[in-house]
Amino acid sequence: MKKEIILMSAIIVATFSACAQEKHDHGQKETSVAKPSAEQLSAKSDSKSSNSVKEVIGFYLDLKNALVKDNSIEAAAAGVALEDAFKKFDKKNLTEAQIKLYNDVEDDAREHAEHIGANGGDIEHQREHFISLSKDIYDLVKELGSSQVLYNTFCPMANNGKGAMWLSETKTIKNPYFGKKMMTCGSVKEEVK
Amino acid sequence: MSHIKKLLAAILKKALFVLAFAFIAIQFIRPSRNSNISGKVFSADISNTYSIPKNIYALLLNSCYDCHSNNTNYPWYSYIQPINWQMESHIKKGKKKLNFSEFGDLSSRRQNSKLREIEVSINDSTMPMSVYTLMHRKARLSQEDKESLINWIELKVK
Repeated sequence: MKKEIILMSAIIVATFSACAQEKHDHGQKETSVAKPSAEQLSAKSDSKSSNSVKEVIGFYLDLKNALVKDNSIEAAAAGVALEDAFKKFDKKNLTEAQIKLYNDVEDDAREHAEHIGANGGDIEHQREHFISLSKDIYDLVKELGSSQVLYNTFCPMANNGKGAMWLSETKTIKNPYFGKKMMTCGSVKEEVK
Repeated sequence: MSHIKKLLAAILKKALFVLAFAFIAIQFIRPSRNSNISGKVFSADISNTYSIPKNIYALLLNSCYDCHSNNTNYPWYSYIQPINWQMESHIKKGKKKLNFSEFGDLSSRRQNSKLREIEVSINDSTMPMSVYTLMHRKARLSQEDKESLINWIELKVK
């Protein structure tokens, strides 16, 4: 019985969070039962926040694929779109720890996206920013999760021989740091979800 | 004819007078100056974040700190408006992008990104800005300076 009540309230909270909020104000007792736990929160985040994550990943992959094609103008457009996706990011349903990491990542990633967007025509500059941006997105996906399987791919020759990673939607290696010059440099290190 | 000439001369005189007055008037509109009066090194200064060799730190102080720290070493003409307005706007923009006096307040992720950007800016000679080095000849970085800065950054950057 108790379980059912908890489950029910969880569903109510999840679907009518605004209404539920009002109810809390009326009945104090209800609050203790209906207060969403972290677990329920992450279940909830299947809605808006995960859409935001999806959008960020989508534009990141657009950017990556533009760099693979050596297309600087397309990369710039994706950079602008990515920055915008961060601007509109819905973090309402994130936990405190997630928000902390998200804010740190956003601060950094937005600047990289902005630079990439502003440097259409200078693909090397864009690729330079893509190194740090990829790390940012990787950390973000690790913390917030992704509905799409991604592959952490590493090319030891990128970044002036110091190596750099990127996220890809396919296992096939298509290198965004070198494009045509060295399309297949790299190997999949990890599957990220 | 001489009538018109006289009229023109009078107008010109008035215009000059107004201009001179405006010039004097704007001297009183002074934005606050970017000076560290205490003279102490800020706790979040980059020199407290990393151990920086003296010669590298001297390069930063000499070529970057005027616009990228909380302490500008102002030249005499910075007291003249509207030159100073232009200067303050550059300093404000510069500090927003990168402030060495507050470097320690950034997350390690941001510090790393900033170091990378510094490296790129030095490499492609966008920094220090040419408007700045035109007036501050001593702030120009020689090839050797650039290399030692970049080598140091390479040690710190991840």
